[in-house]
Amino acid sequence: MAYLATHDYLEDKSFVDKWLYTMRTGEMDLSWMNAKTEKITPRPQNARRGLTYRDLDVGSYGFTGVPEKVRDNRSYAPRGAEIPEGVPDAQPWVSRKSELWAFNTESYYEEAVSRQWNATTDIPWDRLEGVEMPEATGKALSQLMTFLTEVEMIATDTPAMWLPRLNPDFIEVKSFIASQAMDEARHAEVFRKRALTTGYGLMAASPMNEMALKHLRDADSFSEMSVALHLVAEGNVLTMFRFSEYLSPTDVDKKIFRLVMQDEARHVGYGMQHFKYVLDHFPEKREVLHAHLDEAENISFAGAAATEVTESFIILAGGGMKKEQLAEGIKVTTQFNLKQMYEHFERLEKCGMPERKDPNRSKLYNMFLMGKAAAEAQGITF
Amino acid sequence: MAVSFPSTDYFEALKGQMAMAQEHFSRLGFIDTTFAVSVANNGKSHNYVLEFEVFELKAVHEVPSIDLKKVDFSIEGDERVWREMIENIKRNGEADTAHDINTLAHFGEQLKIHYDDPDGHDKLYRFMESIQEFFDLSSKLEVNFN
Repeated sequence: MAYLATHDYLEDKSFVDKWLYTMRTGEMDLSWMNAKTEKITPRPQNARRGLTYRDLDVGSYGFTGVPEKVRDNRSYAPRGAEIPEGVPDAQPWVSRKSELWAFNTESYYEEAVSRQWNATTDIPWDRLEGVEMPEATGKALSQLMTFLTEVEMIATDTPAMWLPRLNPDFIEVKSFIASQAMDEARHAEVFRKRALTTGYGLMAASPMNEMALKHLRDADSFSEMSVALHLVAEGNVLTMFRFSEYLSPTDVDKKIFRLVMQDEARHVGYGMQHFKYVLDHFPEKREVLHAHLDEAENISFAGAAATEVTESFIILAGGGMKKEQLAEGIKVTTQFNLKQMYEHFERLEKCGMPERKDPNRSKLYNMFLMGKAAAEAQGITF
Repeated sequence: MAVSFPSTDYFEALKGQMAMAQEHFSRLGFIDTTFAVSVANNGKSHNYVLEFEVFELKAVHEVPSIDLKKVDFSIEGDERVWREMIENIKRNGEADTAHDINTLAHFGEQLKIHYDDPDGHDKLYRFMESIQEFFDLSSKLEVNFN
């Protein structure tokens, strides 16, 4: 056990005596009743919505007044509580607002809680009864689901491992990150269930994608993780979910992808708002963000181009493995790849980083231009 | 009673159906987005702005043109495509795999999604199930096409 209490209370006679004395006499200390904290009466701004975190943005309890550097609270004391002597230092790694803050975080959290769904009961699994897919498309669907399960397992671990490292004064961000971990766990669940209901079992794990995903897990800072996970990886996955919904062979698959894309779009929204917050408030960090993006774009390109992912998409998009089906599959998958890259640069531009749309600044943008020209030469536009 | 499409009455009728299905839409979660629907016919279009808040469609109004800075996104398409979608929903009780919003709009071949801000665009996907099920309520309406 790495952490030991600073005192052995079970062996401390005066501590035990006080405990027994209180039980015996009913004599109480009650000093906690004099906590020097603010008294407020928060009310729901909209009764239909209920009492939200935004409704609690009042005085010393609010998030608006949280400073860039949180120095006063390094414990688990809830923001606004009195912090007595003796509270241990929980040693949070992230106590700078600019490392994690995003406009609207509290609403993203409320939305996450409100839009939770259940992979066991909200998917009409019974409609798969009697659905038989040809071997090629069935295996391709299972490969896609195997890959997505892999993605979502690491997407669960990554935000979760940052939770204890975030200063508790950022309770809204911590809550959102916790909700994200739950979202990703549900995604891993639903994809695993769908893979196994194809009747073809799981297919192969993806070495290229695991390499890419390890990069997310092992980020050196929360901000680097957020750029790589929320903005780049989940941005790409959001486009992938929409594409997968488009390709879905059954209404069950459509429903699955509509539900997971909702969660993913929310995560991307947080990532965009965090990125924008940093650029707006700390322009000196621009080059650091470029460096994060250089690496994140490299690994996302590698992951997206992995053989087992690309080929399963081609087969699903074409509807089989006949020559004309593969030609159609290649066309649609190429459109998807280009759209994925285009939307990534579009998001960056809107966040305040238009210079990324320059082949000399971003190798991925160069790849986008190359891919677009190659596609156009084949008569493929998007 | 039958409603015409496109018309404000059509969206008002969907709004009424959504209100009647409040428990279900509450289960789907908050839907906070304002988007536009544009229905084109012979070079002219009918444009509607739909304001969703909390669990319901708060307001709908027809506008002469769509200002993308005032909406999160717009869904635009020919009346033929909208009609096919609505008729498909009526037949199946919900859109089939070829007629849901994401499929019709994915590559912009049938419906097109326009937006000014990618964050607004992403709201289509944040609230996708609610939006799809909102349109699926067409199955409960008798719709005439002008």
